Amino acid sequence: MSSRDAILRKLRAAQTPFADAPPPDPHLPVVPLDTGNRAALIERFIAQAEALSSAIHRCASPDEAHAAILRVIAPDERVLCWDFAHIPLPGLDAALDRAGIAVAPPGDASARVGITGADAALAATGSLVISSGPGKARQVSLLPLVHIAVVRVDQIVPHMEAWIAALRAAGTDAFAAASSTVIVSGPSRTADIAMELILGMHGPGALHIVLLDSEAQP
Amino acid sequence: MRSEAGRFVTAARQALTDTPLQDAVKRATDTAARKRDLAMFADGRDHGEALRQQAAAARHRALSQLPALLEQAEERLTANGATVLWATDDAEVCRHVQAIAARHNVQRVTKSKSMISEEVGLNDALIAAGIDVLETDLGEFIIQLAEEPPSHIVTPVIHKSKDAIRDLFVEKLGMPPTDDAQTMARFAREHLRAAFLSAEMGISGGNFIIAETGTLCLVTNEGNGRMVTTLPRVHVALVGIEKVVATLEDYALLTQVLPRSATGQALAVYTHMINGPRRPGENDGPEALYVILVDNGRSAIYETEYAEVLGCIRCGACMNACPIYEATGGHAYGWVYPGPIGAVITPLLTDLKEASPLPHASSLCGKCREVCPVDIDLPRMLLDLRRDLVNAGHTPPPWTVGIRAWSAVARSPRAFNAAARAAHIAQHALPQGRKLPLGPLGGWTASRNLPKVAAQPFRAWWAAREKARDRDEQS
Amino acid sequence: MDFPPRPSPIDQPVALYVTCLVDYLSPEVGIAVVRLLEHLGITVTFPAAQTCCGQPAYNGGYQHEARPLAERFLDVFHDAPVIVCPSGSCTTMIRHEYPRLFANDPARAEQARAIAARTWEFTEYLVDGLGRTDLGLRLRAPQTFALHDSCHGLRHLGLGRQARALLGAVENATVVPLEDHDECCGFGGLFSVKMPDLSAALLSKKIAHIRAGEAPTIVTGDVSCMMHMNGGLARQGASQRVRHIAAVLADGLPEGMRHA
Repeated sequence: MSSRDAILRKLRAAQTPFADAPPPDPHLPVVPLDTGNRAALIERFIAQAEALSSAIHRCASPDEAHAAILRVIAPDERVLCWDFAHIPLPGLDAALDRAGIAVAPPGDASARVGITGADAALAATGSLVISSGPGKARQVSLLPLVHIAVVRVDQIVPHMEAWIAALRAAGTDAFAAASSTVIVSGPSRTADIAMELILGMHGPGALHIVLLDSEAQP
Repeated sequence: MRSEAGRFVTAARQALTDTPLQDAVKRATDTAARKRDLAMFADGRDHGEALRQQAAAARHRALSQLPALLEQAEERLTANGATVLWATDDAEVCRHVQAIAARHNVQRVTKSKSMISEEVGLNDALIAAGIDVLETDLGEFIIQLAEEPPSHIVTPVIHKSKDAIRDLFVEKLGMPPTDDAQTMARFAREHLRAAFLSAEMGISGGNFIIAETGTLCLVTNEGNGRMVTTLPRVHVALVGIEKVVATLEDYALLTQVLPRSATGQALAVYTHMINGPRRPGENDGPEALYVILVDNGRSAIYETEYAEVLGCIRCGACMNACPIYEATGGHAYGWVYPGPIGAVITPLLTDLKEASPLPHASSLCGKCREVCPVDIDLPRMLLDLRRDLVNAGHTPPPWTVGIRAWSAVARSPRAFNAAARAAHIAQHALPQGRKLPLGPLGGWTASRNLPKVAAQPFRAWWAAREKARDRDEQS
Repeated sequence: MDFPPRPSPIDQPVALYVTCLVDYLSPEVGIAVVRLLEHLGITVTFPAAQTCCGQPAYNGGYQHEARPLAERFLDVFHDAPVIVCPSGSCTTMIRHEYPRLFANDPARAEQARAIAARTWEFTEYLVDGLGRTDLGLRLRAPQTFALHDSCHGLRHLGLGRQARALLGAVENATVVPLEDHDECCGFGGLFSVKMPDLSAALLSKKIAHIRAGEAPTIVTGDVSCMMHMNGGLARQGASQRVRHIAAVLADGLPEGMRHA
């Protein structure tokens, strides 16, 4: 008998623990928020992200966003970057080009800065949901010391429960199709050395969130 | 990993005299406990208690459906492109990983934290097969350098001071001496970067598997978990069979309760959901993803009244709250899991007799259950394990003889009274204020004075009063 | 915390379960309980056939040896409408462990559950059972106290609020906080002699907090904790002492009641 069969048989032969257990309430969000108040949600997202040491650049126009990004990149001349189609910032490719900044080939581990978009932003915890896919390499938000994420304000959802509810509405197959989805809450960190908090362990040490608060669509 | 739990009493005694250890453990656990309290109850006491109850319900639901959920998880993971393997014991886990390594010509492995890999002695097995293994979680990296086991399941190196870590880096890695923790961490980052980029295989644990979508979930802060599951061409995940959860909603609850309970974070820095190996058109991600579902004693626990303990989400809150853990640190517990959870699962996963001191390493204060995010009744299990030890005859005969004698006397008020009278007389002969060579009482009197048996017991006072009242009534 | 609804003990006589530690080590606690209850006009009986609840054996895993003691308790108190016990740990044993001890004896298990519903720890009997916090007590001279929360009572029975309310209502009593008041004193029954080094380590932390605090008298609801802490305080030559809440409250009785 295979190990699989032996294990499953053993589990099935046992008296079922918690057989009468009532199911948990799927509607209790861990962070209770007034989900209808958009302005408050945006403020919450910004406050939570900053509390995690993420830097927020609130930009009212694509030009402002380009400028903020170029300030973070300077004085480098190469960056890792997702395909521009996946970054909700019109004109980014031209702005980088004008500034003489080249997009490094995927797998270039020496670039200091990586630029991505995001699937969603969670107001409750100041987090970004980032899935992988063609043109959306995992490394771009992982290897460089500095991660720049571009997010539109309308991508902010209240919390993880709301994000999952939306996933479910769209059908979980789409979620499962992405090989990797990571919810990023601030720069990487450790407290393993005598409980001292240190930012920038293996992942990025700085997370810059460019929050695009404009009507322009990519 | 071989259990040294049988040596607990000696190890604990040594730990109690180790002042740097005492300071380090107390600082770490006090900090963690305080942060947990703030995070779990950030939206009020009632809300935090409701979260605990909901999290317990999610784990109970998963345990009640465990075989079906495992099959569903396997089916979904496989449909997502993962290869699912099953391992009944430690040897089989090692065989699987060695075979995968051979199949993919692996020479270097990078690992993110996996307690199961410690259980099964995986690192040694890989090294024996000529494969380099590098721990990348900073705490695990440090204990690997120090050749020690972890002393805490979340922060494995709380027993070491900053100075000790600095000295280790200087001696073993040639780091220029510094007292700045940031510089030390940056040094480790540089040192491990090359390994991340060159290893052919990454090995991780798994905090949860979501059965309905076939998703492997990792909760990390450093980024090494993402590194070892993204950069190498092969990723192997070791996951205990009890880690399966039913739905995305259950997962959302647990993946938020876990960091709150463990480190006081609303979410870990990286809440990572892996749905398969690299897809066509992707530029990174492993070509092959293996998920090894590990039993190693868990199905045996599932068959018993201790099944509830399989709900543990490995947050470490129990050991952060435990006064015994604070007094001894983790190594004294002798195996992979210390603290209250270790005191219960070490005997259950290894050997009851060998681990016999552990269920007694508790004053039953109950703080562990109070802080457990999934409400596991650990004190109950410690009591039941003590019963199991007695029933199996694994208690020292003098104790059994003593308790039996005591019980025979105690069930008779007359006999008990006579014994108390005798003690009252005998105690006058006992010097107070120093250690007495009186067997178990020697331990007490080493640092405590003995209580005095009263001249007139309560029952005698009562009887005298009743007699006086009867006399008064009659006169 | 989840308890079955208990019948009100108001207007019922009380059968006192004094506990073996009170009976033989600290009889003043039992005497204090009697005086306080009689001060409130309650009829108190003391079934002399009572003995130990069996907790020491039970906590050591010796359930077989604890059983006869538990059976004795059930027999002695089977027709007592209300049982009051000045110990959080013994009350926990009776309410929570007796039903488990008799899990495979339905008749005894039913008895145990019925008795559990009628068994009260002393402070919860006064405050939650009778609805009384102000017993009209007044200490002859001002005193300062701090409370130590015994583990069983705190975590299994939800005690603590009641003792604070009772003590707070005593005239001339000042209550100050004790650092880490809800941390274990290290007794744990047989743990104190099975693992004496660990027990002593926990006690030493508790004593350090007591000695660093303002209160000369620490108040607790369990004689087991009390004798453990007093054993350590005396050995260290400290001036502080631990007393049981009943004894402290009884000090506040009118002169006549205190020596009836």
